[in-house]
Amino acid sequence: MRVRELLAPERTHFNVQGVSKKRLLDQAAQLVANSCSGLTEQQVFDALVARERLGSTGIGEGIAIPHCRLATCQGPVALLLQLEQPIDFESIDNKPVDLVFVLLVPENNPEQHLKTLSHLAALFNEAGYREQLRSARSAEELFKRATSSEEELQLAS
Amino acid sequence: MDALNLTLLIGASLLFVGLLLGSLSLRFGVPSLLVFLLVGMAAGEDGIGGIQFDDFELAYLVSNIALAIILLDGGLRTRLSTFRVGLKPALTLATLGVALSAGLVGAFATWLMDLDWRIGLLLGGIIGSTDAAAVFNLIKGTGVTLNERVASTLEVESGLNDPMAIFITVLLIEVITTPAFGLGRESLLALVQQFGVGALLGAGLGTLLAELLLRVRSKEGLHALLLCAGGACVFAVTNTLGGSGFLAVYLAGLIAGNRRGGAGDDLLQSMDSMAWLAQSGMFLLLGLLVTPSTLGVHGQEAIIIALFLMFIARPLAVWLCLLPFHFDWREKLFVSWTGLRGAVPIVLAMFPLLAGISETRLLFDVTLIVVLASLLLQGSTMGLLARTLRVSLPLLPKPLQVSAWQGGGHLHLVQFVVEPGARADGKTLASLAVGEARPLLILRGEEQLQDSASLVNAGDHVAWLAPLDEEPSLAALCQTVTPSIKRFYGDFTMRGDVHVADLASAYGIQFDDNGIGRLTLDALFRRRIGQPVVGDALRIGGLRLRVRSMDGERVDQVGIRLPRD
Repeated sequence: MRVRELLAPERTHFNVQGVSKKRLLDQAAQLVANSCSGLTEQQVFDALVARERLGSTGIGEGIAIPHCRLATCQGPVALLLQLEQPIDFESIDNKPVDLVFVLLVPENNPEQHLKTLSHLAALFNEAGYREQLRSARSAEELFKRATSSEEELQLAS
Repeated sequence: MDALNLTLLIGASLLFVGLLLGSLSLRFGVPSLLVFLLVGMAAGEDGIGGIQFDDFELAYLVSNIALAIILLDGGLRTRLSTFRVGLKPALTLATLGVALSAGLVGAFATWLMDLDWRIGLLLGGIIGSTDAAAVFNLIKGTGVTLNERVASTLEVESGLNDPMAIFITVLLIEVITTPAFGLGRESLLALVQQFGVGALLGAGLGTLLAELLLRVRSKEGLHALLLCAGGACVFAVTNTLGGSGFLAVYLAGLIAGNRRGGAGDDLLQSMDSMAWLAQSGMFLLLGLLVTPSTLGVHGQEAIIIALFLMFIARPLAVWLCLLPFHFDWREKLFVSWTGLRGAVPIVLAMFPLLAGISETRLLFDVTLIVVLASLLLQGSTMGLLARTLRVSLPLLPKPLQVSAWQGGGHLHLVQFVVEPGARADGKTLASLAVGEARPLLILRGEEQLQDSASLVNAGDHVAWLAPLDEEPSLAALCQTVTPSIKRFYGDFTMRGDVHVADLASAYGIQFDDNGIGRLTLDALFRRRIGQPVVGDALRIGGLRLRVRSMDGERVDQVGIRLPRD
């Protein structure tokens, strides 16, 4: 699945105050619960924290992709946050994180969702894509750059 | 010019040219040993030098001393933890493996060249062992980091397998020269004696030597010389008492290198020049000794035997020997291909010559061609194969400096440069503690930062007080995480103490056996692979897990690669 199938303008947030990893996951849970019916804030938060406990989802270069599976989730949903100040995320390269892409998936069809996650990791590993997102100056711009990138077209081909 | 100076000039310039070309050879991926051998041959009677040299006794003496020094140096560089990982498979390869490949090659040569079976088998024994000099040289020189299981197996094998080859050779010479000689209990006893006396004296005298040298605390240059002289004594004493001197001197090196935390950088550097001198001297002399123009007589048969050894006998022996151990097919294939032949076979080929067996020339010529073919074909393709088969790990940066901390027991002063984007970049000094390693100081140009809250920048030099086995963890901490490293280990990571069931529920993967759900990832690796090493991979429900870092013998972090489209 491509970014434009997962993300929506109302789930793209610019200049978020991160503070700490835990506070950030808390905020993310709140934002997701607000825009998706059927998901409660507590559920999302618990599931995201449970995944982080197994190992950080910070993949390096200032990117984190927190992800989890939820029984109550209707279909794959994503949330993109650009932080005002980078925060420590216990990433693999120890770099503080300033771009967070949260992915929630339902429990059915896990193979499909693993491929989606793999695609996202590959996309965020592209330096050009990260630069595009970091040069955005508003939530609208961030959404546009995240969903219509050359890099994703190339990865797909 | 008088005769003395003329001899000196010839010898010295030969060594000079050999070393010069040898040091360049690594850039072209050719083993430097091969270059020494070729330079020696070029200087010899058929080459441009035209030097007449056929003093087998001298060549034999020099080769023995040189091999002892090379094995001592190899043992010194082997970490005890590495030795433990590789010991069992290596010992099997060194005994059963050598016997198998010797038997196969012997039978093949007997059939191919229509020889007496004893001569054929003698040939098999002579070329049966892999060469420590060649293997150490290649593992150091090809610019790839092999995974620890493969590297230690190859290293330890080449350190241990000479006694077996020597045993087979000596035994068959006995059989040929004394018709009444039986193959029964006597010969078995001789084998036990070779290994037993060698191991016992190596361990005993090695400990004695190591303790003595630790008390003397001499300067590094002198220390290396003392060690070499002591090692040569161990070698000679053990040989005299009927044990394998090669095995003993390797063990002595291993003990000296691991006593109280290991040998420091300075000693290893001094020993490095000793080992280079030994290798270059020996191979130049062996090159001089041979007469290339006579090689052609059995050239075709010899090449067929070499190919049989490389493509059939060694792979078959390796495959059988490694069955009880957890090696995957790539690792087995790589170990098969790295059965380099070097100086030991050439030296062993002199045994029958000195014993006065009639087919000596044939044995010597065939052996030489097999060694040349092995160095040329296997030696030059090893780096490529390691990368293709993915038994190599992403290269870790080398420390700037490692030196023993006097009075610190096993602790050393270890210094690294922090690369941009490394895990250490941007962390506080205090947070760089790994296991027993304590961060001490940041050096930034003229500045020195000792405060534990100081932040580390890219380009800083950071010093630790650390045991040597933490060196790879510190190197990984200071290394830039590049896209190729990410591809190698996978995008996400989990801790080694995570349970398989938690991994499965996080990613919705299915697997057959319900029992493994309760295992931790560390235990899963142990069940499937045995003692894991960094770089080991396994598949579970479409995910590929790879050991990313170790904390002692325990899996610390596991990289996860998700299935792609």
